[in-house]
Amino acid sequence: MNELVMALGWLGIYAPMALGAVASAIGCAIAGQASIGAMTETDGGYGRFVGISAFPSTFVIYGIVIMFTLNREVTPENSPGLFGVGILAGIAMLYCGIWQGRACASAINAAKEKPEIFGLALAPAAIIEGFGVFAFVFALVISGGISG
Amino acid sequence: MSDRDAYTALVCSLPNSERLFIAKKPPLSRLRLDSRLKALTVADAEVLARLEHVLSWNEYAVDITDAVALKRVRDALKVIRQPALRKIVHERMEMRTAMSALRLRRDGLAPPAGAFGFGRWARHIPAHWAESCFGLGAALPWLKEAQRLIESDDPLALERHLLDTSYLMLKRHAARHQFDFEAVAIYVLIWNIFDRWAQSDASAAARRFEFLAHAAMAQLGDIRFEGEPA
Repeated sequence: MNELVMALGWLGIYAPMALGAVASAIGCAIAGQASIGAMTETDGGYGRFVGISAFPSTFVIYGIVIMFTLNREVTPENSPGLFGVGILAGIAMLYCGIWQGRACASAINAAKEKPEIFGLALAPAAIIEGFGVFAFVFALVISGGISG
Repeated sequence: MSDRDAYTALVCSLPNSERLFIAKKPPLSRLRLDSRLKALTVADAEVLARLEHVLSWNEYAVDITDAVALKRVRDALKVIRQPALRKIVHERMEMRTAMSALRLRRDGLAPPAGAFGFGRWARHIPAHWAESCFGLGAALPWLKEAQRLIESDDPLALERHLLDTSYLMLKRHAARHQFDFEAVAIYVLIWNIFDRWAQSDASAAARRFEFLAHAAMAQLGDIRFEGEPA
């Protein structure tokens, strides 16, 4: 039983990093495809499109930081805490990354014909980033209470 | 990535559908549209072809019978599995059914026996043949204006009204689909409406040209050529 509990602890440590990487990969792929499509339709502003499509890459960075914060000697006592914080933070990163990719794709699609709305079109993606930051910061705060 | 993001690049490579109607020249030719649509999978391309085969007037011969047209719709619905696209087919065919009934009634024909056309109102329309808008004024709000235009014999305005109504129906469905196959299919259908819109302008221009040509020819009798006896 202890082995299973400790395995969950390790899962919790690595989950934010793995799920953050998946989130960034999917989010960047969605937004990246949108930027490629927009480039075929427009005559300029390519750099901005590529820049937006890299927005979701932050989630893997948050995941790495959470992973290092949670990284400690895994014991049966602290494994449930590591698992709970790590998995839930990872899921939050995953959803934020995917949906931020979609929000970026929409922004690119709208801004390709109306460059003047470029900044405003990024507002939904920025708000999603804010939710990701909440999950990140409070994962760091709450991990301080886990023993070890 | 899921199906909802399947055609992100394709959708972003198309000009905004609203631009189709305000641009002075077409922002996207059919040739270029077809070139972009090569990104579709074989299965999706087949569904789109069926959809256009059913909904585009260009795909119908002038002498096509009701039975053949209805069979074409039913065959297409066996292939079209996407709920939004099926709904679009139903809505458009119901629209055509109501318009066809209005034209028959204008020509003084008796109500068809049994079901007429396609969709929810196939039995309702013959049963309410004498009523204004077949009693469907509330269910089909666009029908009242269509009835007025058909009675005032204004085919161009009627065509515009029907294109407007079809466009608004498609935009309503488009709001729920952004980067998936349905979004691409709806875009193509809107492009087809734009195409017919542009063609209706060409038809109006042709009619105007014919009128002016007739007027000019009518005055030919007054022209006296040099050396011609008075």
